[in-house]
Amino acid sequence: MNDLLAVLWVARKDLLHETRSKATTVATLFFSAVTLVVLAFAIGQDEALLRGAATGALWVALAFAGVISAAQSYQADLEDGAFDHLLTTPVPRAAVYLGKLLANWLFMLLLGLLMLPVTFVLYGAAWPAAWPWLLATLALGPLGFALIAVFYAGLTANLRARESLLPVLMFPIVVPILLASVRASGALVGSDDLALAQGWLRLLVGFDLVYAVLCTAIYHFVVEE
Amino acid sequence: MMDASVRLRRPAWLRAWGVALVPLFLTAAYLGLVWSPQDVNQGNLIRIMYAHVSVAWIGFVAVGLTALFGALYLWRGKRRDDVLAVASGEMALLFSALTIIGGMTYSRPTLNTFWTWDAKLTLTALMVALLVGYFIVRALIDDPVRRGRVSAVVAIIVAASLPFNYLAAEWFRTLHPSRAIALDGSGVTMAPEMLFTLLFNTVVAGLVYAWFMVDRARLGRIEAQLEAERAERELASVPSGGVVRV
Repeated sequence: MNDLLAVLWVARKDLLHETRSKATTVATLFFSAVTLVVLAFAIGQDEALLRGAATGALWVALAFAGVISAAQSYQADLEDGAFDHLLTTPVPRAAVYLGKLLANWLFMLLLGLLMLPVTFVLYGAAWPAAWPWLLATLALGPLGFALIAVFYAGLTANLRARESLLPVLMFPIVVPILLASVRASGALVGSDDLALAQGWLRLLVGFDLVYAVLCTAIYHFVVEE
Repeated sequence: MMDASVRLRRPAWLRAWGVALVPLFLTAAYLGLVWSPQDVNQGNLIRIMYAHVSVAWIGFVAVGLTALFGALYLWRGKRRDDVLAVASGEMALLFSALTIIGGMTYSRPTLNTFWTWDAKLTLTALMVALLVGYFIVRALIDDPVRRGRVSAVVAIIVAASLPFNYLAAEWFRTLHPSRAIALDGSGVTMAPEMLFTLLFNTVVAGLVYAWFMVDRARLGRIEAQLEAERAERELASVPSGGVVRV
């Protein structure tokens, strides 16, 4: 019970820090919007091509923003040695991980919800009939992404060249997440193929469950001094 | 703590094992290239398969063992487990790189393309990227204990990602011929000579992997001892009351 409370307090701390500094919000919001525009330029004028690429572009923008958000959540702590203080508090390391995960997940969820209409407007895609499933994808995809991103950001926080290292390490791991998210939302937006989307969503749920257990169990090896 | 007297010479049994691998390898090559029959559809091209599939299987075993030794290191904290994990990891990287080269050689004449986005090929390419990441992390951490722990964690995460990567890539698109040997042992659709050749090649590939791993672990123990001695010397050269830069 106390550990659960600790998770919420860590998440609250990170979110509070973010609402006051707004550093990550500004960076990721504009970054993902710019990514969407640049990708639209790269794809070209063909409207059918743009429509087909809509969900792919959305997930690329969210993935890049997610890397920034996860790295930033440790950066702020490390600057004043606050992270060491956090580790000396009598809560399990797993609670620190889950708290940061919760904050990052909520943040990416919000970002996804904001970028969704932008994508639909820029790429001219049609709003799917089974839109609740699209929202489910938007929740489960970033969860898996944040699981790995927060874990690896903690691992690389003390290393040299962490900015370039984090995406190099984590992207090969989250390939199934990206693939499943793109395919699930693509099946919904492009062809309203609910059965296909649910198949991919099952993969997302499996990934999220396995890594939630695994990462929580071995996180304390990553951050100990 | 390392034993003070690490032997620098390769022990006799390891040398004998290495020498024995040469005729075994030649036999495996003979079986694959000459003795085994041609395939009904692929003709002589099937002979690439013996080298390719055996190396691929051993590569996956090597990744699994890297994660296993990593987990043992986290559990017991013995340096030798970390040394074994690295040795196995290096072989896993080599074998998966060879698998990609073999796969491209095989798919060019049979499927008329070098790269197919086939599930197994994609999986192997991702595995190479993941193993490279494992060694980048190792290179960036100087403290041996922390290096061992962090890289063990990376190895475990990597090994856990393989089934997901495989599933995703399989559903994404697949052109690979379906497995001729089901994992439960039922439904073998290969001529007995072919199956024997493949299994013989796999055993030899496994012995090659094991030899290199054992020998690399031997070097790793010498490295670890050297590292420990160097750290001790540096500590001794600092006057008392001085600040040690780590």
